Amino acid sequence: MNDKENIIEIHGLKKSFDKGRTKALTGVDLEIKEGEFISIMGPSGSGKSTLLNMIGAFDKADEGSITVAGIDLMKEKHLDQFRSQKIGFVFQLHNLIPNLNVLENVEIPMLRTKTTNEEMDKRAMELLELMNFPNLSETVKQNPTRLSGGERQRVAIARALVNHPSIILADEPTGALDSKTTQMILDLLKDIHKKENVTLVMVTHEPDVGAQADRTITVLDGKVVEGKT
Amino acid sequence: MSFLSLIVKNPFRNRTRAALAILGISIGIATIVALGMITDGLTASSQTTQNSGAAEIQVTAEGSNALSATGGTLNANYITELQNISGVSATAGEIRGITPAAGTVSGLLVSGMNSNQTNLEGISITNGTMYADGSNQVILGKQIAPVLNKTVGSTINLFGKEFTVVGIYSSGNIVTDSIAFVSMSTLQNLTNTNGKITLVDVKVNDNANVTDVANAITNAYPNQLSTTTQTQTNELMSKTTGSIKTASAAISVLAIIIGGIGIINVMIMSVFERTREIGVLKAVGWKSSDILIMILGESIILTLVAAVVGILLGVIGSEALLAFFSTTGSFLKPLFTWNIVLRAFAIALIVGIIGGIYPAYRASRLPPTEALRYE
Ligand SMILES: Nc1ncnc2c1ncn2[C@@H]1O[C@H](COP(=O)(O)OP(=O)(O)OP(=O)(O)O)[C@@H](O)[C@H]1O
Ligand SMILES: [Mg+2]
Repeated sequence: MNDKENIIEIHGLKKSFDKGRTKALTGVDLEIKEGEFISIMGPSGSGKSTLLNMIGAFDKADEGSITVAGIDLMKEKHLDQFRSQKIGFVFQLHNLIPNLNVLENVEIPMLRTKTTNEEMDKRAMELLELMNFPNLSETVKQNPTRLSGGERQRVAIARALVNHPSIILADEPTGALDSKTTQMILDLLKDIHKKENVTLVMVTHEPDVGAQADRTITVLDGKVVEGKT
Repeated sequence: MSFLSLIVKNPFRNRTRAALAILGISIGIATIVALGMITDGLTASSQTTQNSGAAEIQVTAEGSNALSATGGTLNANYITELQNISGVSATAGEIRGITPAAGTVSGLLVSGMNSNQTNLEGISITNGTMYADGSNQVILGKQIAPVLNKTVGSTINLFGKEFTVVGIYSSGNIVTDSIAFVSMSTLQNLTNTNGKITLVDVKVNDNANVTDVANAITNAYPNQLSTTTQTQTNELMSKTTGSIKTASAAISVLAIIIGGIGIINVMIMSVFERTREIGVLKAVGWKSSDILIMILGESIILTLVAAVVGILLGVIGSEALLAFFSTTGSFLKPLFTWNIVLRAFAIALIVGIIGGIYPAYRASRLPPTEALRYE
């Protein structure tokens, strides 16, 4: 693994909210190699989501340095482009758009890219086929409100993958699912991680979920305190 | 799926709200369309192209004007006396009175004139014949005939006497077309005004200046006569339509403001409800400008649909108004033009942009993390 490049490099990263009153990140140092599967653990409020949001450039850090997929996020102006091209995000709750069907939901990230309708449909179907839906041709036409939690999360994973991201960020992707569905989602993510050689960074509360990663790091009080390699 | 289809779909997620927003704006648009059609109709009908041969000047008693004068206020001698004024080529007398008539609000204006001089009022018979002098025959203007529900052969009671409608005329002048003409001597007998007239029509020589002749008349008869020229009548008409236009413009602006506030409200609510969703769109790489265009587009979709509904409502509404007015004796006809449709869509577009820009801007500025934390 040592011969691989770092895809994520973070040094002394700080982030606070409410005009400095809430210190979410107090100096994070973290390096993640390309193709790694990392799980981030730690107590509630320790800063896991904040760290993930920094990697996904959803928010700007206050201090320190953060380079993701070769892009210096402290300096980069076109963060939307970075998010579109490099990042796929899976949230704890699926966050699908209720008035769009499954296929359309998966196409959402491609909508503002230069992709034709046919290409969109093809790419979305390609990914949905990987998601083990028993009756896919029916499912794609359905609204997400009619799907189970596990099914919705699978749609969300497909959505995260459509733009061929280099990194998948997953914030408690199984947090709202039962243990059987959790393992199915996890197997899917691991499968994609292997097949597409994407880097997978996953926040989780569940130790047995975290243990399936190549490496687990622990965040405590806004710092990475422990990381086994 | 395309970006456009998403924009078209989104406003109708909450059907009730979309319907209410569309209704609110469409009422404004309908008002604008109906007022536009009515003022355009008014402008069109008041633009008089007086038939050639008509008198350029109408002379009435001091202090009155030709549009409203009635009764035997002038001595009939003026008809011949005014022929001596230089520049005058012909004169004709008219005795005028108002009689109640079914279908009119303020009664029917009837003018008594010698039948061989009606060309000075620009009258040309379009249907039937001219009345005979001394008879109880009447001709009706083409605007008033349908209001009175009379045609050639009908009878009508004027000043307590039964008259037969023998002809329908047109004069090229909306006011003249809204009255009736009978024989002068008949009307003078009926209204006890023998030897008296209401006004003198004065036709000027081809090479004479109308204003100069009018001035010459008032100078020759100081404190006795007033003159009304065709230009003055037209000016009065355009002043009236002008003030109606101003009023309808003011109402239109009000309608736009109310519609704009309505759409801002609806769009802010919609953005507020979709805070999380907008966060997701940003998280998957949508630009702020994409969000801006989407929300603005949704607002414009709502107002354009409202424009279609509003135009329909406006056309139906002004036709309904026409039906109402025609029974009360107005010569007003709403005028439908594509210009009005264009105007309605332009206004809808403006309301859509004005109403959508602030909510769209707010949505586009939402930081993705804030939006994703929002429950
Ligand atoms: N946008 C924000 N505004 C204000 N405070 C915030 C914001 N985001 C995070 N915080 C605060 O920063 C701290 C870290 O939050 P974060 O969400 O990163 O924790 P977490 O480790 O993901 O917790 P959990 O396991 O409960 O999801 C918390 O105190 C939280 O209240
Ligand atoms: Mg969290």
